[in-house]
Amino acid sequence: MDHRQLWDGALTEIELAISKPAFVTWFKDTHIVKREENTIVLSVPNAFARELFLDRYHTTILKLLRDRDHTIHAVEYVINKEEPKRKEGRDDKFFGMSSLPLPEMAVNKEDNLNPRYTFETFIIGPFNELAHAAAQAVLKKPGIMYNPLFIYGSTGHGKTHLIQAIGNHIKTQSPSKRVYYMTSEKFGQDCMNALQTQKMSVFKDKYRKYDVLIMDDIQFFSEKQKFQEELFHLFNSLYDNNKQVIFSSDKHPHFISGLEDRLKSRMSAGMIVDIPAPDQESRTAILEAKAKSQGLTLSAEVIDYLSRVVVGNIRDLEGVLQTKKKKNSIQEESIYEKTRRKEIIKPRQVIMYILREDFSISYPSIGDKLGGRDHTTVIHSCEKIKEDLKQDQVLSQEITQIRNLLAV
Amino acid sequence: MKIETIKEKLVEAVSRAEKVAGKNPTLPVLSGLLLEAKDNTLSIRATNLDLGISLQLSVKVLEEGKVVVPAHVLSAFLNSLSKEKSLTLSAEAQTLIVNTSLTRTVMKTLPAEDFPVIPEIGEDSSFSMPAKDMVSGIKAVAYAAAVGSIKPELSSVCIIHENDVLVFVATDGFRLAEKRVKVKKAPNFERILIPQRNALEIARILDSVDDDVSVSIDENQIALRVGNIYLTSRVIEGLFPDYKQIIPKETVSKVVVLKQDLINSLKTALVFADNFNQLKLSVNPSKKQFEIESKNQDVGENVYTIPAALEGKEILLAVNHRYFTDCFTSVAADSLAISFAGEGRPVVVEGVGDKSFTYLVMPMNRT
Repeated sequence: MDHRQLWDGALTEIELAISKPAFVTWFKDTHIVKREENTIVLSVPNAFARELFLDRYHTTILKLLRDRDHTIHAVEYVINKEEPKRKEGRDDKFFGMSSLPLPEMAVNKEDNLNPRYTFETFIIGPFNELAHAAAQAVLKKPGIMYNPLFIYGSTGHGKTHLIQAIGNHIKTQSPSKRVYYMTSEKFGQDCMNALQTQKMSVFKDKYRKYDVLIMDDIQFFSEKQKFQEELFHLFNSLYDNNKQVIFSSDKHPHFISGLEDRLKSRMSAGMIVDIPAPDQESRTAILEAKAKSQGLTLSAEVIDYLSRVVVGNIRDLEGVLQTKKKKNSIQEESIYEKTRRKEIIKPRQVIMYILREDFSISYPSIGDKLGGRDHTTVIHSCEKIKEDLKQDQVLSQEITQIRNLLAV
Repeated sequence: MKIETIKEKLVEAVSRAEKVAGKNPTLPVLSGLLLEAKDNTLSIRATNLDLGISLQLSVKVLEEGKVVVPAHVLSAFLNSLSKEKSLTLSAEAQTLIVNTSLTRTVMKTLPAEDFPVIPEIGEDSSFSMPAKDMVSGIKAVAYAAAVGSIKPELSSVCIIHENDVLVFVATDGFRLAEKRVKVKKAPNFERILIPQRNALEIARILDSVDDDVSVSIDENQIALRVGNIYLTSRVIEGLFPDYKQIIPKETVSKVVVLKQDLINSLKTALVFADNFNQLKLSVNPSKKQFEIESKNQDVGENVYTIPAALEGKEILLAVNHRYFTDCFTSVAADSLAISFAGEGRPVVVEGVGDKSFTYLVMPMNRT
């Protein structure tokens, strides 16, 4: 007996027992989603129906199902999220209206991957060569070579880009494969929700169906026993079926405190690669590529300078570019020019101030870099901004924004 | 059930709940209000299975119990009373008997046991904000959502959490409204979509509320609690378009006008608007002229010159009267800045000195 027959049989009896309006309101849009061992998962139209089923019809439903199939022991209810189909209500008022060029969704809902992250835009340098090679190996034989793949490194070193690129590549390579990307935080939330609403089976099922599961920022799991247990079982089930699992974290699994040993050993079973901080050459390459993709032209000296000064991670580099772009939209050359125009002077002073305060670069070298200015000018500028900051709310907000962008 | 209560309290609560009750539902009991008396509290509940409300009133309970009365009957009856100060309600057989100093009323009831439970969400994952801010956010954008679109995300109000700001945004694909509201405590969600009708109903119910509203969200619903009110709405699964990229970054020409001047001129223009409510906006900075022209073959035509500060290039484009004017009530400032990014590009309307509200409207294809 399939799900449909089973439920139709039960519905017939329910229809006889209750009023027609009640039947239409509560039962018409219900169906069995699936059966998990001895549990039947029933889709109901809304949260009100779920309350009502749990409250009033639960024993009846269970009994009716058991009458037909005595191996059934439990029923769970899920709310159907699909919108009722509507006809397009396009009337005359739209005549002659052009529509807003609304873009398609940036993140693909099915797999949660951001299509922006691909191997084409991934810049390979000496620092991430190994990680890239490991990723390529996984692409050749997903699930078999290097399973799980564990990538770790500090924030902004390109972990997310790399693991999402793997997902995107597998998707184009074999569209039938079900790929899913998520952060460990999302997994935790899902798990929590499932626990609270007693829908663990739905939760378990959701993640077990993927061919490639990518989990970002696994370090957030430390100290969370229940999630770790769920992850452990999920991992085993995927691994046993040769499904590829990819993790990322800011630390080597052995150094993630509060992570259970059995998980540590599972995570170490495949390949562990580290992405260290990018070296200067790579930083230059990244800056060039990013500047290009944002339609920004920077002179070689600027790129070289930035790649030397901003030694942090890739996001910092991106931040610097954004800052340059956003900051009152000043042409970058004019920052270096000898001009006293007010709209140029202020941003230039701000740059000096930030370079001094946040990057602790010496006054003379700031002056030198920003178009050969005297170090006293720089000192004056920094002091001026400092003074202004005490009174000028807007300026202080701007600087905070810039700092945020720089992730300093 | 038997209770005694001050009329005003009951009138206020019933008028809040009444609109939530279903209109011609398949299940008749859903068109009613459930009144349940217990522990010196009367709770009033209503739902259309999309939105649910529950209100608590402290009353004198003489006998516990519950009853369902048709919402519109109870509401119309209560609103018709004038001098009465208090009333007693008692359920007898299939009726509700209401006695006041002047009237004795018998109302037919609906079967109370069929009334559904209003689903609750735990409060542990909630944040709070002034109810006024929630209402102003919804009201500033909800009219821009599509009515009955095949895309559910366009017939909803999207609330996005960005740092210390809640961004309310809605679009029907032809115009878009965005309102930014500061929040003190960071909410624990990224974005949710509330059906437009429910959002408007929430704004209506919370309209006169001064306190903070506590908001909880789970995968199926959003719940709002304030004072004696509990409200819950279905949330829509779907992705709101990444609208930020369609807000024009460059401006070809810009007009700054007094809002009242523009409203007056548009009233005149509407008299002569054609069947498509088309208005031609003509911006001519070199002549320092901003004109609105409407023309109806059967009625006549009108050109209105509005005093304005203009900059940029000359531009001429047509907009739909209603779509253009819809946003004016959401702008708090008394001057409007209208920016044009070129022909066939969205027109941006903002309040001068008010960055919290942005409105985009597409021009019409001029015929």
